[in-house]
Amino acid sequence: METVITRFVHALREEGIRVSPGECLDAVHALALGGVEGREPVRALLQVTLVKNANDIPVFNDAFDFFFSQQEVNPFFITPDDMMGAYFHIVEGDEVTDEMLEKQREDRPSMLSSAVDLTPEDLQNLDWVRDLEDDSDGPEIQVRMKGGKGKNKAPKPSEFNLLNLPSAAFSKSWSADSTKVFTPEEIADMHEVVSRMLIRIRKDVRRVKEEQNRGKLHVIRTLQKNYRNGMVPFIVSLRRKKKVRPRLVVLCDVSFSVSYASRFMLLLLHTLHNRLMDVRSFIFNQELAEITDLLSNMPVNCLLEVIDSGKIVDMDDNSDYGKVLVNFKKRHLESMRGNPTIIFLGDARNNYNEANDWVMDEIREKAGYLLWLTPEDRETWKRGDCLIEQYGAYCDKVEHVKTVDELSIILEDLFRSVYTDLAPRKRSIREERNKAAEPVNYMNYYGQAEAAKGRTYWMQNNPSSSAWRERFGISYGKRK
Amino acid sequence: MITELEVKNLLRTGGYIADDAIATAVFLALRMEKPILIEGPPGVGKTGLAKALSEVLDFPLVRLQCYEGIDEGKALYDWEYGKQLLYTQLLRTQLDSYLSVSADLREAVERLAAEESLFFSQNFLVQRPILRSFLSDKRSLLLIDEIDRSGDEFEALLLECLSDFQVSVPELGVITAHHKPLAILTSNGTRMISDALRRRCLYLYIGYPELDREVAIVRARFPEICEDLAVQMVTFVRKARELNLRKPPSVSETLDWANVLAILNATRLTKEMVDNTLGVIAKHQADLQMIKDLATQELR
Repeated sequence: METVITRFVHALREEGIRVSPGECLDAVHALALGGVEGREPVRALLQVTLVKNANDIPVFNDAFDFFFSQQEVNPFFITPDDMMGAYFHIVEGDEVTDEMLEKQREDRPSMLSSAVDLTPEDLQNLDWVRDLEDDSDGPEIQVRMKGGKGKNKAPKPSEFNLLNLPSAAFSKSWSADSTKVFTPEEIADMHEVVSRMLIRIRKDVRRVKEEQNRGKLHVIRTLQKNYRNGMVPFIVSLRRKKKVRPRLVVLCDVSFSVSYASRFMLLLLHTLHNRLMDVRSFIFNQELAEITDLLSNMPVNCLLEVIDSGKIVDMDDNSDYGKVLVNFKKRHLESMRGNPTIIFLGDARNNYNEANDWVMDEIREKAGYLLWLTPEDRETWKRGDCLIEQYGAYCDKVEHVKTVDELSIILEDLFRSVYTDLAPRKRSIREERNKAAEPVNYMNYYGQAEAAKGRTYWMQNNPSSSAWRERFGISYGKRK
Repeated sequence: MITELEVKNLLRTGGYIADDAIATAVFLALRMEKPILIEGPPGVGKTGLAKALSEVLDFPLVRLQCYEGIDEGKALYDWEYGKQLLYTQLLRTQLDSYLSVSADLREAVERLAAEESLFFSQNFLVQRPILRSFLSDKRSLLLIDEIDRSGDEFEALLLECLSDFQVSVPELGVITAHHKPLAILTSNGTRMISDALRRRCLYLYIGYPELDREVAIVRARFPEICEDLAVQMVTFVRKARELNLRKPPSVSETLDWANVLAILNATRLTKEMVDNTLGVIAKHQADLQMIKDLATQELR
């Protein structure tokens, strides 16, 4: 029985179901307890012990059917039940005769020792058994072999964490003309990516929250918490300071050239929203539209369909970054509170429209951090109508993202730094101290301005400050 | 010695109609003393299975409802600070006389340290659900409900408890279970449960039941509903499930509906009947219209 189960487990692993040795033992144990009469009970026993994920159940059923009814490859034409039964006789050793044992030793690769006459063809058919035998070296070797066999389902040890990611869907192509709506599996996978990311960020978040929680004693809540300790304050509850949630503003180009990246971005925001931060999301093509409410109230697939149908922004237009920027400034920039992190996602291909990059300057002033993500390779940035260099000059960072994994890594970094920036006092005090230690060169022009910060009134109004610029209407770059 | 068939029949006496997979899982869990992890959409009888089992097997039910932020103080054990404090206060005079014998401070500290175990004994330990089920007088049923709501830390905490049925208390050492409870974990799949936990459990997926089984469930709960009506309403509900609703009606909704229809003394399902009792199966405003449309289509 052990051999049959081990082989079956190998077959399952071939199909990409992860079965641990412990589970394999469980299965053997379960079969010993539950008996092996009947096909369905055995299937149920194996399923309960070997399959630990609902998504794997159909695969398991296929594998089970295939493995225990291999009429073409099984040279003996024996029903699976008989096969199991006969094998039990042998392994459990009820009535095993010497003769049978000897035969079993002779025909080791075959599943049954009480075999009828073998023909050469049958022996050839036995190859699949030998294949399984080869695989019994443990998962690593098995995986390696699978790489050679071209079974892409097999997990590679190094990519273990990323196994279920929608990379496959992503790597198809950026201008995905295949079906555009996510499958439930893809959504589940992306949710998993996000939750994994959240777990990693959570440590930083917790620290920030702890620091936020410092404050005066909340007398009532402390008493309530310590009621069972006879009001002796073992557990102290503090008045929370105002919760600071990072603000994030995302502008996604949904035109054809970058739509797939935008889709993932939207989905990511959908999951992130309300969990960690306040997110305002916009999509644009030629027009700009805010979809924050839609994102939080609509299932993702519905939203994507709506976007595709062109009800929000006209999908037939070519993207016009200049116009979008001006609109963004006019309608939304003034209402941005705090210092939001602003992320642009797009290839900056402006279709030879007006660049209007002076808006970027203003956005930069408003934003705590400005990030531009583009799916294009660096080599192509200078070609054609791509304005990434012009816009990128205003950004804190321009990143080239090609896959889901890259995107999630970049965003994780970003969130982490956003959170740590919010860490109040401690960090800022430390930074101030560091700054104070830094020698300021008063001899040059910028050094003077730096030294004047927060000192005297007249020095503050030096020409390099934004206040000065505002007062006298000085502008850099062309302004309309 | 209990077999799968007996499990099935036992559950039937408890009003729970189990299929082969459920019976097998329960049978194995009882024999192998392993926890079961049950996943499935809400309302298909995951918690119901645990309740029915505790009833028919006569295992006392210890229930632990998971939520975000649950920790060992809520799930395993906690120290009763107040009681400890009270005891030290009350025993102060005894302590004084006990310690006054000692010659110097060092000896006094040693004497006190020798009695430390007094204050960290089971006496001051508050048993939370998991520990309580381990220490109960007879084999109990530990239901850890909606584990997907808790955090990863809690999952990690469960690993020791569920694989070895023991709880480590730093001050006391390891407490092993007197009777290994039948542990049932349920999850609605809002979050992926870690593989480590899955490996320690038998896995059971309960989906929406087959037509026959669902009819049997309705009939078992509400015998006053005639066979025809039960088949009719179950067929209708099954059709509604395929409509891609926001909240597809599950078994619990079917049962609620059966209850309503039984109260209304219905004998046949009509369109008016569905319209009037719509709120029982549709739990979302967007779903109402879709089910209404289905009713016009299917019933006249």
